[in-house]
Amino acid sequence: MGKKREYNRIRMDSGQHRRITGVAIFLGVLAFIPVIAQLCMLMVRDYDYYAQLALRNQTRTTKVTADRGVIYDRNMNILACSKSVENVYLDPHELKQSKADIPAIGQKLGEILELDPQWICEQAKDIKMRYKLVAARIDEATASQIREYINAQGISGIHIEPNSQRYYPYGSLAAQVIGFTNASNTGSEGIEAAYNSYLEGSAGSVITTKGNNEMDMPFSYESYVASKQGDSVVLTLDMTVQACLEKQMELAIARYDVQNGAFGMVMNVNTGEILAMATLGSYDPNNYLEVQDLQSAYELENMRMAYLMNPKDSQAYIDGESEYRKALNAALLKQWRNRCVSDGYEPGSTFKVMTMAAALDCGAIDLDTDFHCAGAEQIPGRAQRLHCWRSTGHGAQKTPQALQNSCNLAFAHIALKLGGERFYDYVERFGILEKTGIDLSGESKGVFFSKELVTNTDKWGTASLTSGSFGQTFKLTPLQLVRGISAVVNGGYLMEPYLVSQVMDADGNVVLQQEPTVLRQVIKEETSKTMCSLLQSVVEEGTAKNAKVAGFAIGGKTGTSEKIDVFDENGQRVQDKIVSFVGVAPMDNPEYIVLVALDTPSRSTGIYISGGVMAAPTVGAVMADILPYLEVKHNYTAEDAAGREVTVEDFTGLSLAEAESRLKEAGLTAQTVGTGETVTGQIPLAGNVVPGNSQVILYLGEQPDIRQVAVPDFTGMTRQQASDAAGLLGLYILVSGNDELDAVVTAQSTPPNTQVPVGTTIKLTFADTKAAD
Amino acid sequence: MALQSLLYAKENRRPWKNRADEGVDRIFLFLLLLLLGVGLVMLYSASYAQSHYDTGYTVSTRYLQKQGLCALIGLGGMVVLSRIPPEFWLRWAWVLYGISIALLLSVLLFGESVNGAKRWINIAGLQFQPSEIAKFTLIVLFAKLTKDFGKQAREFRRGVLGFGAALIGILIPLALEKHLSAIMLMGMVAVVMMFVAGTHPKWLLAGIGAAVLFVIVYVSLMGYAGDRITAWRHPEQDPSDTGYQILQSLYAIGSGGLFGLGLGKSRQKYLYLPFQYNDYIFAIICEELGLVGAVLIIALFALLILRGYWIALHGSSRFQTVLAAGLVSLIAVQTILNLGVVTNLLPSTGIALPFFSYGGTALAVNLGEMGIVLSISHYRNSTAQQEEII
Repeated sequence: MGKKREYNRIRMDSGQHRRITGVAIFLGVLAFIPVIAQLCMLMVRDYDYYAQLALRNQTRTTKVTADRGVIYDRNMNILACSKSVENVYLDPHELKQSKADIPAIGQKLGEILELDPQWICEQAKDIKMRYKLVAARIDEATASQIREYINAQGISGIHIEPNSQRYYPYGSLAAQVIGFTNASNTGSEGIEAAYNSYLEGSAGSVITTKGNNEMDMPFSYESYVASKQGDSVVLTLDMTVQACLEKQMELAIARYDVQNGAFGMVMNVNTGEILAMATLGSYDPNNYLEVQDLQSAYELENMRMAYLMNPKDSQAYIDGESEYRKALNAALLKQWRNRCVSDGYEPGSTFKVMTMAAALDCGAIDLDTDFHCAGAEQIPGRAQRLHCWRSTGHGAQKTPQALQNSCNLAFAHIALKLGGERFYDYVERFGILEKTGIDLSGESKGVFFSKELVTNTDKWGTASLTSGSFGQTFKLTPLQLVRGISAVVNGGYLMEPYLVSQVMDADGNVVLQQEPTVLRQVIKEETSKTMCSLLQSVVEEGTAKNAKVAGFAIGGKTGTSEKIDVFDENGQRVQDKIVSFVGVAPMDNPEYIVLVALDTPSRSTGIYISGGVMAAPTVGAVMADILPYLEVKHNYTAEDAAGREVTVEDFTGLSLAEAESRLKEAGLTAQTVGTGETVTGQIPLAGNVVPGNSQVILYLGEQPDIRQVAVPDFTGMTRQQASDAAGLLGLYILVSGNDELDAVVTAQSTPPNTQVPVGTTIKLTFADTKAAD
Repeated sequence: MALQSLLYAKENRRPWKNRADEGVDRIFLFLLLLLLGVGLVMLYSASYAQSHYDTGYTVSTRYLQKQGLCALIGLGGMVVLSRIPPEFWLRWAWVLYGISIALLLSVLLFGESVNGAKRWINIAGLQFQPSEIAKFTLIVLFAKLTKDFGKQAREFRRGVLGFGAALIGILIPLALEKHLSAIMLMGMVAVVMMFVAGTHPKWLLAGIGAAVLFVIVYVSLMGYAGDRITAWRHPEQDPSDTGYQILQSLYAIGSGGLFGLGLGKSRQKYLYLPFQYNDYIFAIICEELGLVGAVLIIALFALLILRGYWIALHGSSRFQTVLAAGLVSLIAVQTILNLGVVTNLLPSTGIALPFFSYGGTALAVNLGEMGIVLSISHYRNSTAQQEEII
């Protein structure tokens, strides 16, 4: 047993025993405590966080795109629709896993997609990414080439996904109103943006759990969210009206060498529906990143070429490039801008319509109030003498003449009679201080004087009040002006303008129906009636004679405004002018209002820069085009019979008596050639449009003399001269526009020297190029 | 159970035994077999997807088959080793040491590269890591030195220089292999064994301090210290594979919750979590079995380790005690390091979880080492003569 004891002594080294016990406690118990604590934190405290991250890690969401809705005009013409295209993207992670031959892929894809193979390789090597877009919106043919390549080579990691491309059949027509969609198919301007939530529908998705490298998992789940096709939007726009408006505006821009674009619109005064809305310098929404304006595009290209001349990475290159990008962005933003709703401008004399309506409505003046214009006058409360636009003055006037002459001095007195309180109150009720609420985003509300400035004339004088009365030193949007004047002529009701009449879902169910909204009555019905006749008198006898359209009672008001807040590089106020005209028709029961404003007509044409000379005939031409189309009834007066259009019937085979009675019915006269009893031929031929009271030559037994004649250049001829020239050649003329004797032809429907058959009708537009304001 | 009857001899058939044979420690054996069984089940689950993927969706048991085979070999080795008297190793310690160093050096010359590291050697078609043998050798040698030094282990000359020299002899070839995880593991086991032997803690602390300092300097000289720290503390900001690995591990663990997704239902194992069937198998365990299952498995490890130290404390000689303590410490340190890395408590190293992680040599060697622990438990009540013979 002694030996046993000795063994125990060796074995039971008590120090060693203690140390092993210590190690056991440390490595067998204590060391596990932080691990278990960490597990508790990860698995209990942070469970939700990690469970969610893990789920996101393990699931694949496949988007099922929804078709974007269609945009229609009021006649269901398609303004915007989507066509299917495809995107090509790489999954670099998958390419790496499948050990794909990246350079070969780069080469081949580069070839098919016309891209730099080097760039494609760079995309493919970004292995942390699962999605690298290499080509967006390629067509089906290109996509199928890539599919063939993928299948032939058995590559995993190149994917093709469906996408859609927006297509705008009308190109630049109403571009700012319709807008466009950006690269991710979200509407970014116009209706596309404002109604994006309806149009885009909702993309569906298939969510599946997937292993890495697309391994299938046995314990997976799938959830499916159906996609909903986008709703379609029906606009109040009428593309025919829009085309007429833009065509006439373009002609005016060319004719008057307008420097800074133009804007205009056509609205139904009784409902607030916008039939046309245009801003020129426009763009093509199919290609919205291209600057459409030739001059700007040329300058931009020069800028680009200039910086590309410098070596890459040089300071000049970098500065030049950023300069170019800035200029490009500015040009793009400018062409996308809908000036009718987004920009304020000084309305000038067109605003007098509202001032006068207010003054008549509250009894501050009546039709017999006397005004005297001496050309300039010291208005109480104004520091400087106020000058009328006609320096010689308008002399003694009553209320109608004040409007017809657009006399600033008379309006200053009207404003004083009206007083600041009432003036401001009416301005407010005409909706000048608020946005119109049109269903477009980015609407502005102009800049009007503060109430204090207009009403407290003791303190601030009358400068704001009097200038405001004739539309100067404040800004409103074209839409606010059009809406306010609509209220003047439609019986006094301020409407909410709108562009979308209906939203329909994919099955044709109406989701949203816009009805005309009356916001409030601004003036009394009888004031409105009075104003209608006054506005008509402006066209009949006043500054807007150039806007006359035969057969329609047109009313309106011209405007010429200086841009007081635009200065040149020397700090001098530029003499740029916006000339405008607001026309309303038909005046016996107003239906449509047309505004055209031309921004900065050039002095170089020598034509007097004024709304009456430039904008009024443009609006007249728009009216002449659209009123018959909109089925507004002609109402010819005896005076404008010469402007009436009569379509000549086919008289051949009829007896002379029969033909003559029909001619008389149509308001035409007959001249006979030959002695037969039945008509064997006629000039002009059937279907031709001739002016009322025209003579039709009926051939009785003889063949008509069908000669070709050259159309003369009528430009600059008075009505009498034109009539003589046409008569000489056997041509008919249809006249429109200013019917003053000294008005001259400013436009003709068939260009000079064109060969036409005898009996052809030439439409002539007359204007008084000396008319002012 | 056949294995149990093999290990637990009912009659005294062994000539070197004088007293009634009480057999191997049943509790330790039970815990070990339980861990091995659970480990194989979890390995099958964790490697299931990878096996499918590697074999083109034909075989799900590719990894299980190899691991199972190695487990059988290991169990065989365990049975044999459990019957060899522990003192056998005392005589062969220096020989083993020589063989280990030779093997480690030969790896540098003839070794095979796996995943870019030259740590494998092929002998008669059998691929294994000599570092596994080296770990065992180191423990045997340290146990022998502890016995030889006796109380002199407290002296600097023996307790530090003696052990240190033996350690350096193995660490140098490992350093040449750049096998950092093995160096770290052996360093830690050596520290534990030196502590047990009686080396003064101040030297051990100084050694640990020096090692830490060395690592810091080394890592910063290599210039990726920042990346490493980022990958560890903010894996979501780390773009490298390490950060990805840690994140995926955390997703797996965190999404397990209290009770897990259920056995076999891990989603992260579908190739999201790299090394899901070896170093990171514990993350899959957490995901499938939840906190409850993970803690139970940790408890099994803890019990095995505690029982192992109990066996050490009951060893019939100083050599046996220290040998058992060293072998158990090896398992303990591996387990703790692995769990620490998987749960992101420690920066990423390459240490496997014993009995769970895929890896044939490691499993077989671990089981063999446990056989030696069993043999120590077997002889715990041997007579003093035995002690004196040696």
